[in-house]
Amino acid sequence: MIRNWRVGSLPFALVLSTALLLIAYWLLAPQSPPKPDDTWTRIQSERVLRIGIDPSSPPFIVDDGTGKLSGFDVALANELAKTWGVSIQYVYTGFDGLYDALNAQQFDLILSALPYNPNKTQDVFFSHAYFNNGPVLIVRGDDATTTDLANLQNRTIAVELGSNGDAAARKWQKRYALNLKQFDTSFDALRALPRGEASAAIVDPITFIDFQRAEADTGIKNWRIVGKPLADENYIIAVRRDSPSLLKEINAVIDSLRADGRLEELQKENF
Amino acid sequence: MLSIIFSRYVKILKWVARAVILFGFGYVVWQFAAPPPILVTLGAPQTVQTLHPKMGVHTRMTDEVETWKIKKNYEMVREMGATYVVEFFPWAYIENAKGEFDWQHADEMVDYARTQGLTMMARLGFVPPWARPENTSVTYLDENAYQDFGDFVAAFAEHFRGRVNYLIIWNEPNVNFEWGQRPVDPAAYTALLKAVYGRAHEKNPDVKILAGALAPNLAPPGATDAMNDLEYLDKMYQAGAQNYFDILSVHAYGWKSPEDETPSPDRVNFRRTELLRDIMLKYGDDAKSVMLTEGGWNDHPRWTKAVTPAERIQNTIAAYDWCEKTEWIAACALWVFRTPAPTYTFNDYFTFVTPDFDAKPIYYEVRKYARGE
Repeated sequence: MIRNWRVGSLPFALVLSTALLLIAYWLLAPQSPPKPDDTWTRIQSERVLRIGIDPSSPPFIVDDGTGKLSGFDVALANELAKTWGVSIQYVYTGFDGLYDALNAQQFDLILSALPYNPNKTQDVFFSHAYFNNGPVLIVRGDDATTTDLANLQNRTIAVELGSNGDAAARKWQKRYALNLKQFDTSFDALRALPRGEASAAIVDPITFIDFQRAEADTGIKNWRIVGKPLADENYIIAVRRDSPSLLKEINAVIDSLRADGRLEELQKENF
Repeated sequence: MLSIIFSRYVKILKWVARAVILFGFGYVVWQFAAPPPILVTLGAPQTVQTLHPKMGVHTRMTDEVETWKIKKNYEMVREMGATYVVEFFPWAYIENAKGEFDWQHADEMVDYARTQGLTMMARLGFVPPWARPENTSVTYLDENAYQDFGDFVAAFAEHFRGRVNYLIIWNEPNVNFEWGQRPVDPAAYTALLKAVYGRAHEKNPDVKILAGALAPNLAPPGATDAMNDLEYLDKMYQAGAQNYFDILSVHAYGWKSPEDETPSPDRVNFRRTELLRDIMLKYGDDAKSVMLTEGGWNDHPRWTKAVTPAERIQNTIAAYDWCEKTEWIAACALWVFRTPAPTYTFNDYFTFVTPDFDAKPIYYEVRKYARGE
């Protein structure tokens, strides 16, 4: 009998094809839906979402000194709570201790101007990004031709001295023969555009929103963002790795807010 | 007919089996045929080209594993025009068991820095488990273990004789966190200085013992977490520290203040250094110099103690300039040149260079200052 078990024999072929069928079934068979994790189950049963914060990061989250919180992260937290029909309990923690406190189950998630940290992906799960604070390219409102840095060869770029925008511009300076003009503040760099002192400016998006608000009274609409951020600085929500259901629900809310434009509205309201 | 089908099927399976074997063989080769290690050598000795030889930076090579990064780091320090580097040499990393020393990484840091023409200032601390009771922190050192620390400092001075002549004893002993989570004690710190001073000089007559490295703060009298740095230094002198250090190490952070803000006991600013100097003068210690071994500004966009990036650059250059012109200051090493990995916190905004060795604008501006451009 054993003699017949050589490669190419009929019994061998039958056993191999059966094994292949079993593997295919294991891979393709419909899976039963995963059980909600304990964190999500607790949030649902107690109707309370516990959020870890360091409230010293305006305009994302700040405590006015009387315990009243405001900022973009607070608005986003309210959206999560509204969608899930729960109340919020904020847990104050120093920024450096947020991850440890999360994993010590002091709260359910971190929502506190938290930048994506690739070194932490073994420790926690990160949500989809809800904001990218990477530097952006700004041109005059009447500039219809510039779509990215490549269009600005041999032209002047205004930046705030020492800022992330300055760093990004220096990085691309040689490649596009950019002429850099440095200012003491980002606002000064942006104001150089309508004066014709620079063809574009590079600033961070929060500053740009703030600047637009500050200049709103002048009635001037002389600036617009073009292209994608020149570098990524994504802000995310972190949950424990034993909370995949919670993560899924967070992502659903973020995606929904982005799709209907509400996320952008919240930024404008809070920056 | 059936046998023909099966024979074809078997042929296909044979090819599949061969492909699997081939793939497996290739995978094994790929796994084991790793590229050879990168050869990194010290290279030719270099000299720092700078108009401001008191300029320095605190580096963080202690946690850096790869040799090429250590080399690259010190190359960039030299190219920026800084002469001094402060580096942390944790006692626990070097003397993991009593009397057994592993100098490999420490040697590497010192030799690469020296090859770039840099002067190394070694900060010593971080107690190994064998030298402290169980369940105590790495900053906890009982007086009955001062002898062990003295042994280490003596061994360090001897090992690096001719290579490292500046030893900073402990870090910020006026803060509970840095003093083993106990109430701080200037007299006990002075006793620590006494335990190491003579022994280090015995092994290396050229060595300079730097004391203090105090955390600037405004803690009120009786505070439980820290002692005001001015009060602490005064008490060090009262405890007889004067004859047991050669240079005062100072941490000079500007926080929100400009470089030239007038010093005042109720303000933490860069020029607070002058108030510490006043205490030295009060005790007739004016022959000693001061070295700044930490300090500077932070330009995080939202941190409450940060300034704008432009202000950070202006303050930093002004600070280097003030040090250069101030006779009693011998060196000015600011925090921090680069860290091995990003922290994704405000701490990343103290650096001159990113972990990926991308020079920040402040690096280029300081380099221009060093070159007189």
